[in-house]
Amino acid sequence: MWEPVNKDLLGSAQETKKSLTYWQDVWRRLRQNIMAMIGLIMIATVIFLAIFGPMLSGFSYSEQNTALANIAPNIQITNISGEDYVLVHNDYKLIEATKDGELIGALEILEDNKTEKYILYLINGKEVKFDYSLAQKNKVKGSNSMENTDMKTKYDIYVDGQLIDKYDVKNVWNKTYILGTDNLGRDVWTRVLYGARISLTVGLIASVVNLFIGVLYGGISGYEGGRVDNIMMRIVDIINSVPLLLIVILLMVVISPGLQTIILTIGLVYWVGMARLVRGQVLSLKEQEFVLAARALGVSKAKIIVRHLIPNAIGPIVVSMMMSIPSAIFTEAFLSFIGLGVSAPEASWGTLANDALGGIRSYPYQLIVPSVAIAFTMFGFNFLGDGLRDALDPRLRK
Amino acid sequence: MASLLEIQALKKYFTKSNGFIKKVEQHVKAVDNVSFSIEHGETLGLVGESGCGKSTTGRTIIKLYQPTSGRIIFDGVDITNFSEKEMLPYRKKMQMIFQDPYASLNSRMTIADIIGEAIDVHKVTTSKSERDDMIADLLTRVGLMKDHASRYPHEFSGGQRQRIGIARALAVNPEFIICDEPISALDVSIQAQVVNMLEEIQRNTGMGYLFIAHDLSMVKHISKRIGVMYLGQLVEIGDRDKVYSNPAHPYTKALLSAIPIPDPLSEKAKNRIILQGDVPSPINPPSGCHFRTRCKYSTKECAKCDPVLKTIENNHQVACHLFKQ
Repeated sequence: MWEPVNKDLLGSAQETKKSLTYWQDVWRRLRQNIMAMIGLIMIATVIFLAIFGPMLSGFSYSEQNTALANIAPNIQITNISGEDYVLVHNDYKLIEATKDGELIGALEILEDNKTEKYILYLINGKEVKFDYSLAQKNKVKGSNSMENTDMKTKYDIYVDGQLIDKYDVKNVWNKTYILGTDNLGRDVWTRVLYGARISLTVGLIASVVNLFIGVLYGGISGYEGGRVDNIMMRIVDIINSVPLLLIVILLMVVISPGLQTIILTIGLVYWVGMARLVRGQVLSLKEQEFVLAARALGVSKAKIIVRHLIPNAIGPIVVSMMMSIPSAIFTEAFLSFIGLGVSAPEASWGTLANDALGGIRSYPYQLIVPSVAIAFTMFGFNFLGDGLRDALDPRLRK
Repeated sequence: MASLLEIQALKKYFTKSNGFIKKVEQHVKAVDNVSFSIEHGETLGLVGESGCGKSTTGRTIIKLYQPTSGRIIFDGVDITNFSEKEMLPYRKKMQMIFQDPYASLNSRMTIADIIGEAIDVHKVTTSKSERDDMIADLLTRVGLMKDHASRYPHEFSGGQRQRIGIARALAVNPEFIICDEPISALDVSIQAQVVNMLEEIQRNTGMGYLFIAHDLSMVKHISKRIGVMYLGQLVEIGDRDKVYSNPAHPYTKALLSAIPIPDPLSEKAKNRIILQGDVPSPINPPSGCHFRTRCKYSTKECAKCDPVLKTIENNHQVACHLFKQ
């Protein structure tokens, strides 16, 4: 009835499945997490745009055109006659545009009368008078005229002496500068993309510094323990207790402000959190039996840290690294915003926001664009970081 | 011929400092004055309750802990104060099998890497193919398949993991293996398999074992001699049959009476010795004989002087004042 199987015959029947490696397993779980994948796509988009965007936008980040300064992404164009449209700029001037919203450029000025407050333009052989004396009149009459931002009440347009309907306007998207221009007539879209390069560079360097200095420092401190650990952690405490702003300002004295100062500062400070995290992980891991087994085999200290301890702490390390990138980007934006960052004409998201602050009432889009860029990137990294934390936790392995 | 391993008055104290302003140093006397020796091809079983210092003894012998005092003589060489570098050749001769098959394998490494690490450190093989062959051979020796090499520890059961742990220890062809409760985390049926495998390996290679366990019947099965530890001290040591049939120390008697007998009638009739009180703290062990607080035979002499191991019959020593030389 029952008899032992011939072992040789069994050999071919027993096939072993090629097992998933750790990272394949992580990737499988990460793919199932919709939020993490959204985050990953967001980050990929930002990285792609940062690398290729400035090449494709058609403008350079420093190219100025003061005639076309402060033009919003969504513009109102007024029909002069036939196919001729003009954009009435908040700075009391007319800019020629096509009916699709392409900006042609500054117009030929026949007369600029500052006492009577009108400008005479020549458009396609027609004499266009832009009379902004109403602004002064309405200001006197109006009760809270200081708050009056409605441009419509401030001007009249005459074509060949004939008053035209200034309310006959059309809302179009700015085809030339898709996100408008800043106060020097630079393309905001190009500058935001260029800012993404700087912000991502800072984020990347912060994470690399985190990884190398923080992980090794924490690993050595945790594994050595005792007096070495004590001294190394007190150094960390000292670094951690000096405010970031103070370090930046002090470094400004030594080296000139700019990207390298920010990178240096972030490099000096950002690994501290990671070092603490890794030390804590290593402290709990080093008492595990697999570490004792490696020691009993005579594996060297460096190899134990690199091959046994750090790979087992990789989950928290990767998550912390992911979370440190947005925080570094935010620090850079903050430092640039308060004027300690990159200098003009270079742009980072922080300096863009800072530059836009002056014209926040008239040109809010200049502030919104970099803010959205910062928020978008933060969301991306945080979603991915959260997803990775779940994916890297072996307890959730299915 | 010298003993394979000789332990002389081994002590391992763990220092614990308390207090912030006034530092108070306390010593946990995990291993306190333990001496024994193991011959080539012999198995010494080390038994005792939890926290009595069995595992610490094992770990101190293999120098995972630096001993506080005493001497460890391996193959006639005193390795007590050897540096990590000097120890390296002895790490090849002395290996360890761990208790928890789940914690003792690095979950981020494949089985080939886990076993291969031992081979790499001691450069047992010279070429990649030789290394692969050796890993395959080791896996077959411990009853696994060679295809298992590319797998990760979490894909194995507890018994299989313990076999991997044994394969790792065997990879360097040691002369002596410390088995630190290798079977206590396994099912009974798997325990028998692993113990039989260890015995077979011993028969084939003639290596010595220090078998640490708290399962008395399993220790009786595998060991030639048995040492009984209580609160960091060796209270009795001798040939297996002598210790089991004629236990001398009151603690050994109590310990052995706890072995269940697989027969309800004799189990009922058995005279079980139940010790009173708890194990004293190893920070402040009782003076004299450590066992005197729980011993019904204790006398004034027990509190005054430390008992030393005395030979009561051939190959049977006990540390108790009840026995006079």
